[in-house]
Amino acid sequence: MTPDKQPSLRSRSRRKIPVAPLHDFPPGTRMEVKVGSVQIAVFNVGGDFYALYGRCPHQSAPLSRGRLQGTVICNAETCWKTEWAHDGEVLVCPGHGMEYHIRSGKAFGYNLRLRTYEVVVEDGQVKLVM
Amino acid sequence: MAADGQLVTVQKVEPASNPVQDEDLEQYGEDLSGLTIVDVDVHVDDTLMYMLDYMEGHFRKRMETVLQADFKGEPGNSLRNMIAHIAWLGSSYDKPPRAKLATKEDLLARMEKGIIDYSILFPSELLPVGYLPEPEWAAALATAYNQYMVDAYNNLAGVKIAIVVAPQHPDRAAEEIDLHAAHPDVVSVCIPDVGVNPPIGDEKYRPIFEAAARHDLPISFHGIEALIHDNYPLRVAHFHTLMQVNSMGFPFTSMLQIMSVVCAGIPVRFPNLKFAILEAGLTWMPFIMYRLDAAYLRYRTELPALEKKPSDYIRDWYIGTHELEALPRRGDLVKLIELYQGHETTMWASDWPHLERDLIAGFMRYEMDDELRRKILGENALRFFGLTPRK
Ligand code: FES
Repeated sequence: MTPDKQPSLRSRSRRKIPVAPLHDFPPGTRMEVKVGSVQIAVFNVGGDFYALYGRCPHQSAPLSRGRLQGTVICNAETCWKTEWAHDGEVLVCPGHGMEYHIRSGKAFGYNLRLRTYEVVVEDGQVKLVM
Repeated sequence: MAADGQLVTVQKVEPASNPVQDEDLEQYGEDLSGLTIVDVDVHVDDTLMYMLDYMEGHFRKRMETVLQADFKGEPGNSLRNMIAHIAWLGSSYDKPPRAKLATKEDLLARMEKGIIDYSILFPSELLPVGYLPEPEWAAALATAYNQYMVDAYNNLAGVKIAIVVAPQHPDRAAEEIDLHAAHPDVVSVCIPDVGVNPPIGDEKYRPIFEAAARHDLPISFHGIEALIHDNYPLRVAHFHTLMQVNSMGFPFTSMLQIMSVVCAGIPVRFPNLKFAILEAGLTWMPFIMYRLDAAYLRYRTELPALEKKPSDYIRDWYIGTHELEALPRRGDLVKLIELYQGHETTMWASDWPHLERDLIAGFMRYEMDDELRRKILGENALRFFGLTPRK
């Protein structure tokens, strides 16, 4: 297949998948969405929506059921002192506790990033963009 | 609702207050149907309060005193917390949901889910029994545990029990084996492999092996964090974090006990006795087998009882998969098993319900042929524990 015949991800139309009416998805709640065999965890954190790939790469536990809290960091910015950080933004896997930054999908302490998805609110509906 | 022909489902969920377990997941369905699954390392709530009714005389008095103390505010008081977690209290910032102790009802609910055919119950509370300096007290605790387990968990479909012995009192340990070996639900003798000093191959422990061999009851060594003891086998107080102690404690103590048993010639003296090693992972198995073989070449005359090289004995040992190391490639587990020749001896183990338990999905992600998968998930354990398939 030549490159110009290959359907690129960009040219493929993006699907918007309704998740819930906005009033049914208030801050502090989360939804587990399955699109075919793909599981996605969608969170409302203080009015901002985040969606991440929903199965932990370690042993497949459902990330939609993880707690949100903070974690400890220690890096050049903290002058190599340990500090509590990202309070409320760290998704803790309910399997064995791997931690993911809810905004970026980046795993703390691993060279690993979960796929994230855009979430939009249109006409009072929360929609997942895939 | 459908999008591009794909089924979409949306479900409102709550954060889990306990770690998710295999039985909480709906994902296995067809993958596992028809397979016999034996979970060879399962723990139920055996905190000390359950032991009280099984203790007599001054030890009962002592237990009453112990139960009044409040270690970490946990119900039932915990020998483990007492000994273990003081040094590292809070080191995990309460990060993962804390695993609750599993009640009998939790275990029955798990079994009813039908994923697991057999759960083999091992002690939690009594695993540090080897640390206790007073042999009589250690033996009294082991006796209480065994009777409690046999009373509380007998005759449950798919539930079997490993009794525990206090190695520092070999004669009492042998009596425990003699007492419980004929019970239809008792399938193994558990020797905790930490705190056993001198190592378990020492002549003083011979009554334990004689008793197990007499009853054809397999021996399972079960690991535990090397915790806070400061001498045998590691000076763990030199490590600042529980993670380091945990990582090294289980395999090091397991290797030490395997080495001790084999070098003492116990498999030669008791050729029908079966051994398993649990909760120490797998990756060190090739190391200890072939490291000993290399040294055997030079030092064979120190071990005149051996009739073959150490790895020829160790490859007969059964081994539980937990805590399954995170090997990077899907084909790596088979390569590892080939190295230690463990096709007939590797047994799936979860360590349910502890936080570090393995989910079946963690094992299923490794590629292997169906025959090997069947052996590891169930057939090898059926043979080791002398169980008949339930389906
Ligand atoms: S399944 Fe997520 S940390 Fe193990």
